Amino acid sequence: MFSPDLISESRIGCGLEISSKKRLLETLAELLASDHPRLQTETVFERLLERERLGSTGLGHGIALPHARLKDVSDVLGAFVQTKTGVDYDATDGEPVDLAFALLVPEAANEEHLHLLAHLASLFSDPQIRAQLREADSPARLLSILSAG
Amino acid sequence: MELTNQIILIASVALFVSVMTSVLTSRLGAPLLLVFLVMGMLLGEDGPGGIAFDDVQLSHLFGTLALAVILFDGGLATPYKNFRVGLKPALGLATIGVLITSVVTGLAAAWILDLPPFEGLLLGAIVGSTDAAAVFSVLRSQGLELKQRIGATLEIESGSNDPMAVFLTIALIEILLSDDQNPGLVMLTEFLRQMGLGACIGLAGGFALVWLTNRLAMSPGLYPLAAMAGGLSLFAATTAAGGSGFLAIYLAGLVIGNRPLQHRLEIKRFHDGIARLAQIAMFLMLGLLVTPSELLPVATQSLLFAGVLIFLARPLAVLVCLLPFRFPWREQVFIGWVGLRGAVPIILALFPLLAGLPHAQMYFNVVFFVVLVSLVIQGWTVAGLARRLKLEVPPTTHVVQRVELDIPGLQELELVGYRLTDNAPILVEKRPELHLPKRTRIVALLRDHHLLESLDPLDPLPGDYLYLMADPQDLTELDRLFVPPSESTHLTDLAFFGEFVLNGEARLCDLCAAYGVKVEHESPESTLDTLIRRHLSAHPVVGDRLQIGRLELVVREVEQDRVIKVGLKLPSAH
Repeated sequence: MFSPDLISESRIGCGLEISSKKRLLETLAELLASDHPRLQTETVFERLLERERLGSTGLGHGIALPHARLKDVSDVLGAFVQTKTGVDYDATDGEPVDLAFALLVPEAANEEHLHLLAHLASLFSDPQIRAQLREADSPARLLSILSAG
Repeated sequence: MELTNQIILIASVALFVSVMTSVLTSRLGAPLLLVFLVMGMLLGEDGPGGIAFDDVQLSHLFGTLALAVILFDGGLATPYKNFRVGLKPALGLATIGVLITSVVTGLAAAWILDLPPFEGLLLGAIVGSTDAAAVFSVLRSQGLELKQRIGATLEIESGSNDPMAVFLTIALIEILLSDDQNPGLVMLTEFLRQMGLGACIGLAGGFALVWLTNRLAMSPGLYPLAAMAGGLSLFAATTAAGGSGFLAIYLAGLVIGNRPLQHRLEIKRFHDGIARLAQIAMFLMLGLLVTPSELLPVATQSLLFAGVLIFLARPLAVLVCLLPFRFPWREQVFIGWVGLRGAVPIILALFPLLAGLPHAQMYFNVVFFVVLVSLVIQGWTVAGLARRLKLEVPPTTHVVQRVELDIPGLQELELVGYRLTDNAPILVEKRPELHLPKRTRIVALLRDHHLLESLDPLDPLPGDYLYLMADPQDLTELDRLFVPPSESTHLTDLAFFGEFVLNGEARLCDLCAAYGVKVEHESPESTLDTLIRRHLSAHPVVGDRLQIGRLELVVREVEQDRVIKVGLKLPSAH
């Protein structure tokens, strides 16, 4: 399902110590901006935060799917973080979040991108996948679980 | 002596067998009341039972008592919060709706059965009221939960439309018996007296009963009896004063069920049981009373009559009464179809018999037939229709055991129990730590019938029984931890409410910006809450949907007519 460019090992954080939702989003923004020529961490962070104001992107069961549209990206771009302990993310079920996938889509977001978002949400609604992601102990392992989905 | 024993034997065996049969038939989706009615017919003179029972006076006495008890329980079980979305439409249906149904079916009856207009109208009035108990027993036995607007409307309607039908029936009988008066005037004064007295005595009596119950110190077992005796006294007193006793006892139950009250739970549970008994006994008795072989000669006319009622009168009444409330068409179709007729019409059909009207026996047989048809056709299709019209909402809780705790002067708390299956989220998720809602405490964990000594650290295994003390509002969250996701795929949270949860306060323009959706003819500054209320209904309920471009908004949480949380459903590739 995923194009190989969607996510790479360099944009995956494993077993990070993160204490707040803000830090979690910043970390994801850093990962997203790090290997992209035109992206600024702050811009990405702000756009992700803007989306959070509409309502938390916490999907429940400890997983979050922050996302935003950005004109600087030409193709969908993803990053993933697994934290050591849960972060209060204001999710619907009130559970702290310890797995987060951030997705950036181009400004000309079309049907396909909405489909990708829906696909990711449905992937993370599988308890087996969440358990596997929690048990993974390296970015390589996380990547293989995500790409298998 | 011998006779007493025989009557007790027959009655108890009939009751026992009926209750047992209901276990089987609820799996078939058959309305429970139909089972009891048929049971009664089988026991009667034309069935294998061969009991010849035709005491109209006795049936009327028991039927009226049973109906009063059922209405009292209906009032007790209706929470005020259902009034937000259901009261106004239900009141319209219970008054104007009953009138429209009665007039349309009445005129049709006069034509079909070749009766004078007033006698036809009497037949129409007799079948004017609905029975929601029959609907809800079918839905509950199949684990279906309806959208609040429909559930509340149907429930309040059926509780409050019996007085109207009773009134119309009595008034028409009076007109038929004394033909020298002005019928319009008689109807109007009678209506005002019945409803006025019924409402006043019922409400005042309800508050008085609450006041009294809270100041009495009795043994706990007596409180439910005090409530029932009080309710029935109100019923009788109102009727004696010339008011509508049915309205009075329903309103009294409503007040008692919603005010802070000592031993509220015991009172409610007792009445739940006694109302069931009343229903079973009443239907058995009515089944016994009818002579099935006499139904055949009126079968064709009755079928026509039932057809007019089901396909014309009820839908028309619903359409007219719901016009001001902007119900979505699916909901109107459902409410129009679910005009189930239950015991009330049969009991009302006894009135002309008691009054000695000329065609009374024929009325009774026609009405009985109509109720049978309605129970079979509408009762059997209710659940399927609710599914087809997509009016279900995901069940709010799956808790295996719930015990409400009656702690004086304290917020509501419940002791809830879960049996952990091996696919329970808490066991599958492998979370580093357990995060419970704030006001929830784990009380006990049972493994192999033994209480575990220590709950810290909590290490649940499949097959354990977990007991928690919790606020009823947190049950949904607890379910997410302890109950495996539902099997029926279209009712999971993801499938029903969509992927994300938005705040009702979020602005439309921000939503459009985030997802690249364009909306025309809308002020961009408006919030999702105002948008939904403007487009759908001033009283939104969970499960209402609104399409915005390719996105779908689904109401997820409502607080006093304000939409707090909105589900966002994305288009999916398949």
